[in-house]
Amino acid sequence: MNERPQAIVEMRNIHKWYGKVHAVDGANMIINEGESVGLLGDNGAGKSTLIKILSGYHRPDEGEIFIEGKKTIIKSTSDARALGIETVYQEQALVDLMSVARNFHMGREPVKWGGFLNKAKMNECMIPLRALGLSIKSPDFLVSSLSGGEKQGTAIGRALYFKAKLVILDEPTRALSVREVQTVLDFVKGLKEANIAVIFISHTLHHVHSIVDRFVILKRGKVVRNFKKGETSVDKLTEVLMD
Amino acid sequence: MKEINFRGRRTMLQLFKKVVTARELVVFVITLGLFVIFGFLSRGTFSSAEVIEIMAISASEIGLIAVGMTFLMISGEFDLSVGAISALSAYVLAVMAGQMGVNPFLGMVIAIIVGMVAGGINGLVVVKFGIPSFIVTLGTNWMWRGVVTAASRGLWIPFRPIETHPAFYKFLLADLPSIGSVPLIWFLGAIILGTLILNFHRFGNHVFATGGNREAAKAMGIKTGKVKVLCFMLLGGISAFSGCMQVSRMAGFQSLQGSQIMLVAIAAVAIGGTSIYGGRGTIFGTLFGVLIVTFLQFGLIMTKVSGWWYKIILGALIVVVMIVNNFLEEKRTKL
Repeated sequence: MNERPQAIVEMRNIHKWYGKVHAVDGANMIINEGESVGLLGDNGAGKSTLIKILSGYHRPDEGEIFIEGKKTIIKSTSDARALGIETVYQEQALVDLMSVARNFHMGREPVKWGGFLNKAKMNECMIPLRALGLSIKSPDFLVSSLSGGEKQGTAIGRALYFKAKLVILDEPTRALSVREVQTVLDFVKGLKEANIAVIFISHTLHHVHSIVDRFVILKRGKVVRNFKKGETSVDKLTEVLMD
Repeated sequence: MKEINFRGRRTMLQLFKKVVTARELVVFVITLGLFVIFGFLSRGTFSSAEVIEIMAISASEIGLIAVGMTFLMISGEFDLSVGAISALSAYVLAVMAGQMGVNPFLGMVIAIIVGMVAGGINGLVVVKFGIPSFIVTLGTNWMWRGVVTAASRGLWIPFRPIETHPAFYKFLLADLPSIGSVPLIWFLGAIILGTLILNFHRFGNHVFATGGNREAAKAMGIKTGKVKVLCFMLLGGISAFSGCMQVSRMAGFQSLQGSQIMLVAIAAVAIGGTSIYGGRGTIFGTLFGVLIVTFLQFGLIMTKVSGWWYKIILGALIVVVMIVNNFLEEKRTKL
């Protein structure tokens, strides 16, 4: 794979069926180091399925995935995270009734002898959260007391702390107030500054357009277009998506 | 990374507020109130040493199961078969140690393994087939109860460890002047261990995550099915232990043993503030819940309520306690 040393993820000819529905139909996608890519497409175009394959939630029926040039089989979400792929879901994947620190480390808890939680290490979650500019007062606060933007920040902070190479953001600005949208877009810029690649999925083209380097357009399970940011505008993207 | 202390500078006032606003305080107040009321109404019989000793044994048998049930309910599941599992294990111990002459300690280990397997079956059916645990365990409850009834033909199986195996009896049930009631020590041990695991161990974190938001837990790489099956097995094992305690105390097995205990244990856990929808609960709340149902059961007997009325009043009081609990809880959250 010497010809593309900079690609951190390459998906080749990915297929996924749900019963008779061909949700992903031979999709190809490359994500380079530190690059932010907007993944666009109408409802049912296969965006969610494609990224759920990359994040280990689903297994592809056909196709290959290369991580930093090496052919890899991602069996589970833990596998994906061990490979440096962190996903921030629409639903944020947080548990409201648990504290910020417990949510932050969920599934990857730092432990001492015998599997008991290392509370001091867990409280380190405040470092990336403060770095993102969040003013959460204590790691013991329940997630239910956070605003929508703070919740996204917590989920994005996980990616910073665990040194992800690629962060997948699935509709991160949905159901947020105008001000919170700006906060979340700033978080994404923070990821770029840390040289972390980003896949940003959104229906709101303005949000995507303001922060990504490249657009990938999915239609009926296939990648139909690739645009550099300079080559296109929000209006042109809308047109491509509509026809 | 430099060390950061986010917990410093907690003033006395904050500490006081944290203690006063703890949810367990509400159930603690109710527990204390019931003790005083029944003590008064029974003219002191209720608070005599003898009655307290009997209550300690009863509370321990219920409480051990309730601790396991707390884990399972926080993980978002339910088990109606704990009484039947405890009977199944009690049957195994009574037959092995009482009839076949097996060492009762070995018999109890086998009985606990049987309980864990029965719990594991519940868990696997719930997780693999996606059937609500309420239905699955309703079924297995009848099944295991049927198994012990058929196997024993409804007959009494004597097992008198107090005479035949005094060491075993002491291990489970002794009332030692130096350290107090042994069943209570088992119960308190389960509370301490349960609290440590639930609140300070990785597994506890996974239990809360599984019950609080299963999809999120899965997305974060927690094997939620495994967590649930482990909770079912833990409860099965602890129910078996409680069943061994009962059969040793009653000096024999009868096929209806433990048929009431499951509902009492669930009532205790719910009164203690554990959500029946999962994701929320504490072992300390369960401790007070167990004391409350025990006080209600024995308090009504000590105040000489007629046997005809006993269950009616007990049932009504459990509901009233829940209402008072919710009312005080609402006041508390406004503090």
